[in-house]
Amino acid sequence: MNLQVIYCNHQTASLDIRERLAFTGEEQLADAYTQLRNRFPKSEAVVLSTCNRVELYTAQDNDAAAPTHDELAGFLSNFHGVPVEEFLGDLLQHSGSEAVGHLFRVCSSIDSMVLGEPQIVSQVKEAYRQAEANEACGPLTNALFQCAIRVSKRVRSETRLAEGRVSIASVAVGEFARGIFDRFDDKTVLVIGAGEMAEETLQYLQDDGVRDVLVVNRNPERARELAAEWGGHGFGMDRLAELLPGADVIVAATGADQPIVDVEMFSRARDGQRDRPVFVLDLGAPRDVAPEVAGLDDNVFLYDVDDLQETCERNRKSRSQEIVQALSIIENESERFMQDVYHRATGPIVKRLREQWSDVSQAEMDRLRSKLSHLGDDDIGQVEQTVARIVNKLLHPPLEALRDEARDGTPHGLLDALRRLFHIRD
Amino acid sequence: MADVTIFCFFASYTVAFALDVLRLKKPNRTTWMVSVGIAAAGFVAHTLFLLNSADKGREELLPPLLSSSQDWTLVLAWLVVGFHLFLTCCDRALSVGVFLFPLVLGLIGSSYFLADEPSQLLNAAESARRGWTMLHVSSLAIGSAGVLAGIVLSLMYLLQHRRLRQKGSSATGLKLPSLERLSRMNWWSVMVSVPLLTVGMGTGLVLLLSGSTGGRELSLGDPVVIINGISWLGLMGLFGWILLTPRATGKQLAWRTLLACGFLLVTVVGLNVLASRSPGFSGHASATPRGPHSGLVEAGDRS
Repeated sequence: MNLQVIYCNHQTASLDIRERLAFTGEEQLADAYTQLRNRFPKSEAVVLSTCNRVELYTAQDNDAAAPTHDELAGFLSNFHGVPVEEFLGDLLQHSGSEAVGHLFRVCSSIDSMVLGEPQIVSQVKEAYRQAEANEACGPLTNALFQCAIRVSKRVRSETRLAEGRVSIASVAVGEFARGIFDRFDDKTVLVIGAGEMAEETLQYLQDDGVRDVLVVNRNPERARELAAEWGGHGFGMDRLAELLPGADVIVAATGADQPIVDVEMFSRARDGQRDRPVFVLDLGAPRDVAPEVAGLDDNVFLYDVDDLQETCERNRKSRSQEIVQALSIIENESERFMQDVYHRATGPIVKRLREQWSDVSQAEMDRLRSKLSHLGDDDIGQVEQTVARIVNKLLHPPLEALRDEARDGTPHGLLDALRRLFHIRD
Repeated sequence: MADVTIFCFFASYTVAFALDVLRLKKPNRTTWMVSVGIAAAGFVAHTLFLLNSADKGREELLPPLLSSSQDWTLVLAWLVVGFHLFLTCCDRALSVGVFLFPLVLGLIGSSYFLADEPSQLLNAAESARRGWTMLHVSSLAIGSAGVLAGIVLSLMYLLQHRRLRQKGSSATGLKLPSLERLSRMNWWSVMVSVPLLTVGMGTGLVLLLSGSTGGRELSLGDPVVIINGISWLGLMGLFGWILLTPRATGKQLAWRTLLACGFLLVTVVGLNVLASRSPGFSGHASATPRGPHSGLVEAGDRS
């Protein structure tokens, strides 16, 4: 039984690499899962792609069928058309309990840029939903992801990790936008995208006093719905160029695979108002705003997710006690999960052994019943119970030994011994 | 009270400045409290010193606190320290002292080189002109404080702007107000200081033309008059630009304020020091040994 993950995240790879390896949109993901199934037919797979990370989880019953690190890197390279040598150094790998611990840390936001941020849980859920929809996952990944979500809930309820500023948007606004603007109630905020991140950003900005909210989205209906929730106005993406010039704060959080705001569009928007500061927060990966926009004039303050690293690191240090507590929970849960996995590996043997001994006892009972026909049903019942107790008592020591061995990994040696001793065939 | 010397508050401000610099590395409440306490103690000593000077001035029928060039510079430093204490108490996190204390120390340091004798101009003024003289020196003092505030606010703006453009967090190191607030404060500093300086210089000109110059020969061609005039024109240019430009804010405003106010400060302080230390400086100096007329008071007189 094998579980593994290869990944790059905000700690290992720059945004330039991450955005090239990112999986954007359902179509691209469906295509990726098709290719994964073709390449690794015996593996379950789940792809987790967010603005901070690209992770590929695989699981299979048979260790020999597990794809290697190079094979998985090769898949990413071929799929995205990025030469392996450009990102191999940024790609990390974990297997077994380390892979489990990694997912638990990710889902509990220990591995996030902003410690305690809640979006990652829904991103993990969505990643698993996509894998399920594409028939790429299986019992192992199912157990793993269900457990990860349960662990994240436990971490959030038993630690104070989710208190304070826990979203990228809140950190960016608190650290940077507040350095530019004194107040927000007289500012116009333009949100590009209408997903969860956009919603989170709007919530934070409204808490800060923002009144004038504009939302643009590929789906104008969704934009209007989201804007209505915050007392703003929603528009289709075709109105973006027209709305840009009036915005003081621009937050872009879409899943587009190309920049939505390019230099030309933004330059036109700045005509005649280059002396007016504008705060642009690009939360997309791939980026939604062309990085060159920052160079258009001195009053454009453009930040992407990587620009928040320093701030997030400080946030992390200030809550180191909570991290220790969260890591302790994660370690216990990882250990327990792995025991379950190993124990599950012994399941078929245990079942066969029980069936085999039950068959033997049943056959002997049938023989006894035919020889001692004078015995009544009560007597036969008593004998059957006695035989069943004997079988259970005899099975107890080997099964107990198997359970003990399964605590530290799949007990291959013991399983082989049981197969040979009791003539168990797979 | 009479024993208070310039050194007392100069030393206090130096220690408060050092603590403010230390706070950049290790911000904590205790350092802040000690820094503010020492600065406040210096401010009290500074006030007592000026009051002593005022008493001395009254005996000679001179405007209180502004009887000499030295007093005038010290009043200016006192206004800046007051501004610092006000801002620091409003927002504990702000790193204003790092910007303001060097100015304060510079002003107090330069006061050592300025005359502490009563101004001949003021001596010469008849009691009927005392009101004009008072208006002249006080508007110049407050206007100059505005100029200093403009310089500091511009510097803060440019630093904050640079930090944000370089994606540096505003939560560490220097704690500065937002660009929007700095720009607004900068705008007001120019709006307030330029008219006051104009009033100060205008009344000085009136006094000059009415002949209350202490028996000295002054002309509009005097280098001091010309340099001060150019500085004033620079400020008026900035003032006009601000009034005529709908969005006179941001980095452009900061740079222009820094240049105009900085030029004014350097020339005025430089001229004061030169006039005080060099008896031969400017055409009339022979009549004003060790420059009792020196300082902005005099600069205004001559314009």
